[in-house]
Amino acid sequence: MTTPPPSPPTAPRLRPAALPEIEDEPVKGPEQVTEDTDISTLTTAQVFDLNQSLLDEATGVTRPLIDEIAPISTLRAEYENGSPAFVRQIDWLTTKGYHYIRRTKGDGDCFYRSVAFAYVERMMHALNPAQAVEKGVATLKSTLPMLENVGFQRLAFEDFYDVLESLLLSIVTPQVTGKTLNAVGLLEAFQSPEVSNSIVVYLRLLTSAQIRIDPDAFAPFLFHPELGEPMEVREFCEHFVEAVNKEADHVQMTALSKVLQLNVNVAYLDGRNSNGLVDFVEFRSAPDANETPLALLYRPGHYDILVDSE
Amino acid sequence: MASISARRLAKELHEIQTEGCPVGINLLQADDFAAWQFTIEVMGESLYQGEVFTLLFRFDKHYPISSPAVQFVVTDGKTSPVHPHVYSNGHICASILGNEWSPVLSVIAVCLTLQSMLASCKKKERPPDNDRYVRHAPDNPKKTQFHYDGNSP
Repeated sequence: MTTPPPSPPTAPRLRPAALPEIEDEPVKGPEQVTEDTDISTLTTAQVFDLNQSLLDEATGVTRPLIDEIAPISTLRAEYENGSPAFVRQIDWLTTKGYHYIRRTKGDGDCFYRSVAFAYVERMMHALNPAQAVEKGVATLKSTLPMLENVGFQRLAFEDFYDVLESLLLSIVTPQVTGKTLNAVGLLEAFQSPEVSNSIVVYLRLLTSAQIRIDPDAFAPFLFHPELGEPMEVREFCEHFVEAVNKEADHVQMTALSKVLQLNVNVAYLDGRNSNGLVDFVEFRSAPDANETPLALLYRPGHYDILVDSE
Repeated sequence: MASISARRLAKELHEIQTEGCPVGINLLQADDFAAWQFTIEVMGESLYQGEVFTLLFRFDKHYPISSPAVQFVVTDGKTSPVHPHVYSNGHICASILGNEWSPVLSVIAVCLTLQSMLASCKKKERPPDNDRYVRHAPDNPKKTQFHYDGNSP
């Protein structure tokens, strides 16, 4: 009698929500960012958000999630009395043809929101929108099984997917209003918290899934953004990708450009280059390497969209 | 079209009703999409053998992008588990309910995390600042900005 071969060990699979393990440590008690908080304990993104909210409070501005396009000179004006290094860099960007910016709210989601907006807008302005949308939706559809493969529950992400897919489809298919998506509708969609945040969440999950399915490519670069300690893939994704309002860095940008097959350029406006040049960090994942990249403007702790022409 | 929040909660409820809750967790009440209650107990060896607790979930219209407000019920003779992350008023200091909440988590995922938090407890004691916190705590635990120590769930 032959004994049946032992069944292979089950593949390690994340539990539906990939829940963190718990250890018992005493808690340190509630703490808030107050006027007594030591600024040096905050992340650059927190400092940016704090600055912006103080500034908005002082000037009575309510900032939308994403703003109308504005001349880059409006940004320059903010630095004219403060930082000549930033002014020089903004002038350099202008000479390179970047005349406009589109600002996003500093809420930790700004990278994902900027990419999402520029990504949808790109399809809307494509020479052949029907073809661009068809390709975009096909790429997006292929991410559904990918999310399930890394252990996310379908019910936990399909609503976010639907929001993004129907926005893309509305570029070519008339909506209940009888109209297809135009610039006004696109801005409205991204200013509506439900639509805008749903799309941000979906992009976060895509980013996380890309890191989880290709751990070898990312593991050497996963560090705790504040402590600088190496982190496990799952832990990094749960804490710094999937959680809402967590700022993105190089790893997240690489992963997102890869999963959406995008070329992205990020201009680093940091006042550091003494010649007034701006360094671009390039992400190249589009099937056509020469495809014009989406351009973002990074200032320490924040991302906006950089636009070359209106 | 129903809001994302209502659609998602309807799906979660449907899953609970068709597939049941995990062992040790039972749905007590889910009459609307504003507040749900579950009983929760730790199965097997633990410091909480024989104890059954009640969890209250409150949802706002931005769920699941915004986290649910989750606490143990401490009225009608019910008590919160004595645990270093659980205050005597039922509030829970857990990062997944605060700044590490992710919309990919679900109500059941939260129940499981809290169940596992209790199961792994080595010493029954209250958080060191329990009395001070409970005196000033807001009604909704989401209004508290807890300081997480990196090991809290």
